[in-house]
Amino acid sequence: MNDCVMIDSDLEDLIPGFIEKRHGDIRAILAAAAAKDYEAIRNIGHNLKGIGGGYGFDRVTKLGAAIEQAGKQREGDKACELAQVMETYFKNVEIHYE
Amino acid sequence: MAILIVDDSADSRVLIKRFLEKHGFGKVLTVENATDAFALLGLDQPEGLAKNIDLILMDGVMPGIDGITACQLIKSHAWFKDIPIIIITANDNAETLDKAFAAGAIDFITKPIKQLELKARVNSVLNMKHAIDQRKAREAELVKVLEELESVNRELSRLSSLDGLTGIANRRHFDQIYEMERQRAVRTGHDLSIVFFDIDFFKYYNDTYGHQEGDDCLKKVAAAAGSVLKRPGDLLARYGGEEFVAILPETEVTGAYKVAQDIRTTIEKCNIPHSASKLTDHITVSIGVAGGKMSLTDKQQELLTLADKALYEAKSGGRNQVRVAERNSH
Repeated sequence: MNDCVMIDSDLEDLIPGFIEKRHGDIRAILAAAAAKDYEAIRNIGHNLKGIGGGYGFDRVTKLGAAIEQAGKQREGDKACELAQVMETYFKNVEIHYE
Repeated sequence: MAILIVDDSADSRVLIKRFLEKHGFGKVLTVENATDAFALLGLDQPEGLAKNIDLILMDGVMPGIDGITACQLIKSHAWFKDIPIIIITANDNAETLDKAFAAGAIDFITKPIKQLELKARVNSVLNMKHAIDQRKAREAELVKVLEELESVNRELSRLSSLDGLTGIANRRHFDQIYEMERQRAVRTGHDLSIVFFDIDFFKYYNDTYGHQEGDDCLKKVAAAAGSVLKRPGDLLARYGGEEFVAILPETEVTGAYKVAQDIRTTIEKCNIPHSASKLTDHITVSIGVAGGKMSLTDKQQELLTLADKALYEAKSGGRNQVRVAERNSH
């Protein structure tokens, strides 16, 4: 079953750009994990945690918190796994504007 | 009115700006770090630059200068100490919030941003800021009015001590200064002298030339006598009608006599025509002088009475002269 989110219609024009930037974050997490740059992973996770729910993507906030934690604990594999989960999430999420 | 958002996350800046604009909070400015915020505010200038900022929304965690330190720096500037700052933080633990409030933040909002919470908190802070601004404006107005009042009072006080015609001290002011100087002389043991004079045959002058010319004559006499008194502590006053009096603190009677002679000759040299004078064809004055040490047992008006008596002697002795009163008890 696909995830479904309800987003404020005032933000509709911002969502495509928002999702595109998250794909960029996913790539950056994978690259940082390969380079063992855990500080970068932590920062990206922290940002995702802060912005996801604001745009209506509560799942992004939760995944961001977990990625931040993985960065703190220097768990590169865990961060990659979470990045993949986010990738899948954005592929399948159904967005409705209200 | 404007709100400044300081956040390193572009997504956060865009989102908060969108929410604020949606709810009609007016102009919204955004910068991505504390340094840019300082530049926009003009923090390095004594009077600041951006005085239209009503509220700052500051991300707590930023690269470089963090939001809490930035808050502290902004609050330490005289122009921005009253600008409310709300810290936006994903870390709402007690330690972070404690630091934020200690730095001068008025409130905090947790990330992710919730639209209704943002609106309510911003509304509340702006209402408070508006009330503070109104209070400050009223206080500034009050200070201005008080300053004006003080200025008017000073001017009224000055005017109430002057004689309206001659511009020298009036009788009321003379009485105050005389008593003050008398007490000072008792306290310090210094001499105090009084020079009392009036214009000879002034009634005839008025009868001959009219009251307008009489007034002009009084002004000239006052100016001439005033030019003789050069020490700051000396005071020349119009005692009443054509009578004048000078207080000479810390002056022995011999010195006062010289001053009196100077007054007399200076006035005479003015050569103010007085065809009705029974002495000469110009204005002259008769002068009585009294002075010496003051003591607690002296009557308050003693010196004045003596100077007045000496003036009477000068008059009865032929006018246009100075007489010195003798003080038996000193």
